[in-house]
Amino acid sequence: ERVKVQGRGCLLKEIHLNVTDLGLGYRTKEELIFRYCSGPCHDAETNYDKILNNLTHNKKLDKDTPSRTCCRPIAFDDDLSFLDDNLEYHTLKKHSARKCACV
Amino acid sequence: PALARENNCLNAAKACNLNDTCKKYRSAYISPCTSRVSTAEVCNKRKCHKALRQFFDKVPPKHSYGLLFCSCPLGDQSACSERRRQTIVPACSYEDKEKPNCLELQDTCRSNYICRSRLADFFANCQPEPRSISGCMKENYADCLLSYSGLIGTVMTPNYLRSPKISVSPFCDCSSSGNNKEECDTFTQFFTDNACLRNAIHAFGNGTDRSVWQPLSPV
Repeated sequence: ERVKVQGRGCLLKEIHLNVTDLGLGYRTKEELIFRYCSGPCHDAETNYDKILNNLTHNKKLDKDTPSRTCCRPIAFDDDLSFLDDNLEYHTLKKHSARKCACV
Repeated sequence: PALARENNCLNAAKACNLNDTCKKYRSAYISPCTSRVSTAEVCNKRKCHKALRQFFDKVPPKHSYGLLFCSCPLGDQSACSERRRQTIVPACSYEDKEKPNCLELQDTCRSNYICRSRLADFFANCQPEPRSISGCMKENYADCLLSYSGLIGTVMTPNYLRSPKISVSPFCDCSSSGNNKEECDTFTQFFTDNACLRNAIHAFGNGTDRSVWQPLSPV
């Protein structure tokens, strides 16, 4: 797959976790691979982002602080199911990233 | 050399969710098998069965059998065997409002070509033979386990019974069999008390059937 020149610092990373580490309140001993997007997006910034940066800096936007380019998932991983300690199944959707981009 | 407190069924679930293919097809059946569709129905059984068949079709046996045939120390009271019973989401795929007679269920199965051929395979490949060391007529545990798992997702979907030793059965019994009581009992015993099938399940669970599979890697 071709790597985009812009936003190349924004990458998909993964970490092996217990489902309980997610902090969603489930009681189970099952595990998962959590994938997330991380990295700088400076090289993908547009005039829009530069303007926002300048306006925020010069206090022209009152108290607004609009978000600039972020390294975010543009596609999510498949759903994840697990059985909890009370023998009930749960399915998590859109819980883990599959593809990242500066957006 | 697993520790005494090791839960093999939990380990299989962990291994599944760390594998992209197994994780995908596991949640692809758990979703329809646990989604209520109306006040009357706990799930769409047809969709649940279809997704279960797909799970056993697409996921390599190392993972799918790992979940289905995991070995548990004590037959009943352990978290392990309850987890094993839950593998197929029995509340949707197995249990029904009424328990049919097994011979009636067999007739229903025979009217469906997938079920008919899979049941025939199961009877052929898990045929017990007391004089053989394996306990099977065809000395091939892999074929027996494949035919057994092939029944999952048909009207003959079997599951583990809450029994101290390994015993499985489709959701049916032999009450109101009339003159066919004996025939019905023979049918159910092929599931509940089949040394060939039981040995095949044990052999997979213990990782002793090394001739057939690449054994589960030690955890």
